[in-house]
Amino acid sequence: MVDDSHNQEFEELRKAARPCFQCGICASSCPVFRVTPQMNPRMSVDSIITDGEIPREGAEWLCAFCLMCEERCPMGVSLAEILMGIKNISSKEGKAPPDYVESGEALLAKGSLSPTSNRSDKKRVALGLPDLPQPDLEQVKLIFKATGAYDVLEANRAAVKEEAE
Amino acid sequence: MKYAFFPGCTMANRLQFAEKSVRMVVPEFGIELVDLAFTCCPEQNSVRSLSEDTWVTFAARNIALAEAESLDILTACAGCHESLTLAKYELDTNPERKEKANEILEDMGLEYKGTSSIIHVHQFLFDEIGVETISAKVVRPVPIKVVTHSGCHLLRPQKIMQVDDAEAPVKLDMLCEAIGMESLEYMDKVMCCGAGVRKTDSETSYAVLREKMTSITMVEPDAMIVFCPTCFITFESGQRVTNRLFGTEFKLPVFYYTELLAIAMGLPDTDMLLADHRVKIELPKFVDTKKEDSESISTGL
Amino acid sequence: MTTSNPEGDSSVSSELEVVSADSELRIGVFPCMCGKNIGAVVDIDSVAEYAKTLPGVVFVQVNRYTCADPGQREIEEAIKEHELNRVIVVSCSPTMHEDTFRKAVKDAGLNPYLCIMANIREHVSWVHRDDPEAATVKAKDLVAMAVAKAATLESQKELDVPVTQAALVVGAGVAGMQAALDLADAGFKVNLVERESTIGGIMAILDKVFPQNDCSICILGPKMVDVAKHPNINLITMAEVETISGYVGNFDVRVKQRARFVDISKCTSCGDCVEVCPVDVPSRTDQSLTWQKAIQIPFPQAVPSSYFIDHKSCLGMDLIRCGKCIDRCEKQAIVSSDTDRYIDFEVGVIILATGFKPASPEKIPRLGWGRYPNVITSLEFERLINAAGPTEGSLVRPSDLTKPTSVAIAQCVGSRSIDTTPACSNFCCAESVKCALLIKEHYPETEVTIYYQDLRMHGKYFEEQYLKAREEGVKFVRGRVGEIQQYPKTKNLRVSVEDTTHNKLHLLDYDMVILSMGAEGQSGNFPIPVSVTSDSFYIESHPKLRPVDTSSAGVFICGGAESPKDIRDSVIQASAAAGRAAIILQRGRYPIEALSARILQDKCNRCGTCVERCPYGAISEDGTGKFTVMGALCQACGTCAGDCPKDAIYMPNFTSEQIEAQIEIALTDNPEEKIVAFACNFCSYRGSDLAGISRMQYPTNARVIRSICSGRYSTKFAQKAFELGAGAVLYSGCHLPSDCHFQTGNHWMAKREPRIRGWMKRNNIDNERFRVEWVSASEGKKWQTIMNEMAEVAEMHKKSTLKPEKSITKPKKKTASKTKSKPKSKAAAKIKKKTKSNSSSAKKSATKKKKGGK
Repeated sequence: MVDDSHNQEFEELRKAARPCFQCGICASSCPVFRVTPQMNPRMSVDSIITDGEIPREGAEWLCAFCLMCEERCPMGVSLAEILMGIKNISSKEGKAPPDYVESGEALLAKGSLSPTSNRSDKKRVALGLPDLPQPDLEQVKLIFKATGAYDVLEANRAAVKEEAE
Repeated sequence: MKYAFFPGCTMANRLQFAEKSVRMVVPEFGIELVDLAFTCCPEQNSVRSLSEDTWVTFAARNIALAEAESLDILTACAGCHESLTLAKYELDTNPERKEKANEILEDMGLEYKGTSSIIHVHQFLFDEIGVETISAKVVRPVPIKVVTHSGCHLLRPQKIMQVDDAEAPVKLDMLCEAIGMESLEYMDKVMCCGAGVRKTDSETSYAVLREKMTSITMVEPDAMIVFCPTCFITFESGQRVTNRLFGTEFKLPVFYYTELLAIAMGLPDTDMLLADHRVKIELPKFVDTKKEDSESISTGL
Repeated sequence: MTTSNPEGDSSVSSELEVVSADSELRIGVFPCMCGKNIGAVVDIDSVAEYAKTLPGVVFVQVNRYTCADPGQREIEEAIKEHELNRVIVVSCSPTMHEDTFRKAVKDAGLNPYLCIMANIREHVSWVHRDDPEAATVKAKDLVAMAVAKAATLESQKELDVPVTQAALVVGAGVAGMQAALDLADAGFKVNLVERESTIGGIMAILDKVFPQNDCSICILGPKMVDVAKHPNINLITMAEVETISGYVGNFDVRVKQRARFVDISKCTSCGDCVEVCPVDVPSRTDQSLTWQKAIQIPFPQAVPSSYFIDHKSCLGMDLIRCGKCIDRCEKQAIVSSDTDRYIDFEVGVIILATGFKPASPEKIPRLGWGRYPNVITSLEFERLINAAGPTEGSLVRPSDLTKPTSVAIAQCVGSRSIDTTPACSNFCCAESVKCALLIKEHYPETEVTIYYQDLRMHGKYFEEQYLKAREEGVKFVRGRVGEIQQYPKTKNLRVSVEDTTHNKLHLLDYDMVILSMGAEGQSGNFPIPVSVTSDSFYIESHPKLRPVDTSSAGVFICGGAESPKDIRDSVIQASAAAGRAAIILQRGRYPIEALSARILQDKCNRCGTCVERCPYGAISEDGTGKFTVMGALCQACGTCAGDCPKDAIYMPNFTSEQIEAQIEIALTDNPEEKIVAFACNFCSYRGSDLAGISRMQYPTNARVIRSICSGRYSTKFAQKAFELGAGAVLYSGCHLPSDCHFQTGNHWMAKREPRIRGWMKRNNIDNERFRVEWVSASEGKKWQTIMNEMAEVAEMHKKSTLKPEKSITKPKKKTASKTKSKPKSKAAAKIKKKTKSNSSSAKKSATKKKKGGK
C-alpha cells in the first residue's frame, strides 16, 4: 500500500476529515449511494481517519458533486472538498476516468467543455443570438501549464497508453 | 443597468433557446447584457477534479474579465453560478490562493480584485425585481401544474450560495406562481438530477435520474421548471434514456423558467423558443376577457 | 520601617480597618530540623546564627519538630515571653503547615496573619542533597526574604457578615421543587419563584418516566402538593426575578409577578368558565396538538390549583368585548382589574433551577417537522400517549388519526451538531428506549426501529431496559437519520438512513417518525451575572469538586439549567445544591476573606481596569467614581493588583512592597546566577513541593516567591528582577484554559508576557531568561526540568557577565540591566548590608558589585 503519512496533501485532507464521527448522515443523503453502495462518502472519510490512507479504489469518481453531504454534515466536515481532494490525488496518479481526461483535453483545445459547432452556430443565428466572443486560446494554454493541469493530463495519457500495452 | 452575461457553454452551444429566453426577458426589467470572451466557467466536476488550481484560475480569469469592464456577472446556468461563486469565495478568503492566481493572470494582463459580484437570473428575478413586479407584467398567465427543481448548484452549500433555503426552497415556486402556475410539492425536491456522475458511469447517473423522476411523476405535474441548462438536458433527454434502460415511461415536458416568463409577459416570437423542445406540451388556451378573440400557443408538431 | 497605611474600603469593609504597623518590630524566627529531613542537608545552626543578625529579629529558636505539640507550645511561650509581633517558621512548605502554625500563633494572642513560613524542606533540603553548602546559602536567603516580607505584614481582621435566614429558589420544576423542599424541611424559609402558572416543569407533562416507567404526574403530584402546603415555602408563580442587589448572605430580591386575573383563593378549578370562553389558543401543555381556551389550567394537577387568563388572547374582560367567564363563575373568582405586581424580599442564598428548553426541530428542515404532520417530537409523543392528552392516550397519526403500524425513532436531533447544540443531551437515548417500550406496550404488533449514532444507556437500570426493548422486538440500527420525505397522498414518511454497520442504505417507509429531541440551554439573563457556556448552561465552580457552586458566592445551580440531565440526576443535584446552601444558612454568618483586596483611594486613578480583572464581580463603582472591593465576594487572588497601573491595590500578605522586598533580598548576592521563580499557591507551588517530596534533585539557583494566584504577578516584578541583575525569571501558573482556581488569573498573567518581552527586547535582555510556564500540582517532574533548564540559562548568563580576574577594583559593567534601583524599604537595605558582611559562603569574585554612594 502507498504510504501517505508524509504527504502534504494527505495532511490537509486529514485535518479536514478529523471532526468526522461517522454518523452516516452524508451517506444517507448521497443520491449516488442511493443507487449503488460503491459510492459512500462516509467510507471515503473513514479510510482517512481510521486507516490513515487515501482511498484508492476510485469510488470517489462516482461523486456527482451535488454537495448534499457537505450541506448536512453535523460536524461541518467539508466532505465535497475532501472528495475533490481525493480525486485530485487520483488524477495526479494518472487514474482519472477516460471521459474526464477527454474533457480536460477539450478544455485545453477549445476553451470550453461544450464547444461551438456548425450546428450550434446555425441555431444561434436562427434564433437571432449574437456571436459570442471567443477566448484567447493562448491564455487557456498558459493556465493549463501554470497550474499543472498539463502535467495531470500527461500522467493520464501515459497511464492510458500503459494500459493499452 | 449593465451586466456581463455568462450563459455558459452548455446554454450557448446546446440549449440556445434558453439563452434566447433570457435575452428576451431581461431588457424588460431594464437590463443590458454585455458579452465578454469567457471560457468555460469551468465546470467543477470535470475540471476541479483534475486540479483545484486550474479550476480556480480559470474562474478567476473569467471574473477578472468582468472586473476589467467594471461589470457584475449575470449567470444563467446553476453550474456556472456555483463554480464562479465558490471560486470567488476561495479567492476572497484565502489570500495565498488569490496571490497565486493573480501571478498567472498578470501574464495575460488581468487581475482578480474581488470587486464584481455574481448573480444568477433566479436571484435577479426574485431578489432584485420581486414577484410583485413580475406579476404586474403578466398579460397571459400560464395556468399549468408544475414542479420546480432549483438544482444542487444554486442551493448548496447554503451558507455560501445564499440563494434559497437548501432543504425547503420556495423562491422558484413563488416565481412560478407569479405567472399563474400552480407549483406542487413533491418528494426528493432538492435531490440531484444525477448529471454529475454521468461522465464516470452513465448508467448510475440515469439510475439517480430515475429516482428523481419517480418522485416527480407521483404528483402528476403538467411540466417541470428548471433554472439550469444541464438539468434541463438531463431531465428532458435523460428521461428517454432512463425509459430505455429501466423500462419506465417518463414523458414530462421541461421548461427553463424564463421561457414561460417570456410567454406570460406576452413577448413576441416566443414560439421559436418552444420549437426545439423534445417533449411538447400544449399550453392551455388563454381567454383574454378583455379581447374578443382568444389566443393559444400551440407547440404541437 | 515604614509602610503606607492602606485605608479601609467602604461598604462591608468599613469594618476592616487595618491595624497600624507596630512601632517596633519584634520578629521571632523558628528554624526546624524536621528530624533529619532538613538537618541532614542544611546547617540549621548556621542558619539560626544568621537569622539573629537580620533586622527586626529578636528571638531565634531551633526545634527538631516544630509542628509537634512541644514545638508549637514553644512558639506560643516565646510569643508571650518575648512579646513577639511577627513569627517566621523556617521549615516545610506553607501548604503543609501554615494553618497549623497560624492557629498556634492565634492561641498565643497574636494575629494569625502575622505568621509566615520559609520553605527550606521541599524547596531546599529535599532537592539539593548533593550540595549542602549551597543549600545552606539558599536557606539563609529564604529566611532573609521572609524576614523582609514580615517587616511589612499587617494584622488582618477575621470578619464575617450575618446571613439572612431565607433562600430564593428560581424555577419550580422537579429540581427547584426538591431544592425548596429540602431547605424548607431543614427549617429555612424558601421563596420559590416560578415563571409559569403552575409548578412541575417538564416532568409534569411527561407520560411515564424511565426506567421504572411509572406515571410521571402520579409521582410528581404529591410532591407538588407538599410544596404548596409547606409552611416554609412561599410559592410565587407567574413570576420572574427582576433585580437582585447585594451579596452572599444579604441579597435584596425584587420579583415581578404577572397578573393571573383569577383569584387563587377562590378558584375551585371547576372548569365552568372553559365552557363559555369563545377564544381558542394552541395548547402549550399538549405541544400545540390541540386547543385550549384563553382561560385555562395547564393540567388538572396544577399547583396552585387555579385557572389563569392568557390576556393576550382574551377578547376582553368587560361586558362589551366578552366577559362571559366573569358571569359564569359562581365563586366570582375572576379579577378583571388584576395587574402585574412587584414582590420584594431578602434572602441569604440563591439556587438557580431554571431548567432547559426542549430543542426545536424547526432548525432542522431536512427532517420535515412542521411540514409533515406524522413527524412528531418526543414531547409530542408523550402527550399523545398520555391518558390526559389530546387523544386520551391513544397513539394515532396526526394526519388521519389511525394507528401507526410502523414507527421510526431518530436520535441526536438538535444535539451533537454544530448548527444546533454541539453537546450530547444526555437523556434522549434513554427517552427513546422508553418511547419504544411504551409503543410496544400499547401496540405489540407495531414495528419500532430506533436509528441511533451511539446508544447511551449510561444510568442505573438503563441497560436492562435496553435489553428488554430488544427482547420485545424493537430494532436498533446504527446510523443517524439523513432526511425524511413525505408521500403526498398517504402522508406516510420515507426515512433515509445509512446502516453504517453494514454500509447499506435504508430507504424505508414508516407511518410515523418520532424525533428524539435534545435540550437547548436557556440559562443566563439573570440579574446576578453567573457565567454560562456558549450553549447557555450555567458554569459550575469546579467540574469535579464543586459541581453545584458558582463563582458567585451564595449562588448555586442544579438540574437542567446546569446541563441536560434526567429526573433522577436533577433531584440528586437539587439536594446537593440545597445542602451547600444550607451550610451557609445554618452557620448564620459568612466569612469575609481576611486577605481580601483593598483599593488605596489616594493612589487609584479610577481607570476601572480592576473591575474587568475580577471574576467574582467583587469590585464595583459606587456611582460617584469611587471603586471599592466587596470583601464578601473577594477571593484574594490578586489579579486586580497584578494589572493595576498605579499599584493602588493592597493585597494583604502579598503586597507589592513585600514581593519586591523579597526580590531585592534574593538578588543581593550573585544575582546573575539566580532564578527568581514566582509560583502560584494551588498549582505551581504545589508542583514544586511535589518535586521536593519526590526528592527530584536540581541546582540551587532558584528563589521561589509564592503568591495565591498567578494573576498577581505584575509586569513590574519581572522588570525589577531583571533590573537587579537576575539571571532568569520564571512566572509559573495553573494550566490554561481552565485550571486556575480563580477562574481567569492565569489568562491575565499570560497576557502580560508580550509586554514583558517587549520591555526585555528594548533593554537587550535575552528572551531565554524569562519563561512563562504552566505547572500543575502533579507536575513535579516538570518543575525539576524547568529548574534544570533555567539554571543552565542563568549559568550562561553569569558567564557572559564575568570579568577577567585582573580588574578586581574596577567597577563591573553590567551588560544587561540599567542602574540599580534604590531599595524601597530601609529594612531591605539593612538586610542587604548584613548579608554582604555575614554571608559565609558568598563567592568573593570579580563580579562583586561596587556599591557607589547609594
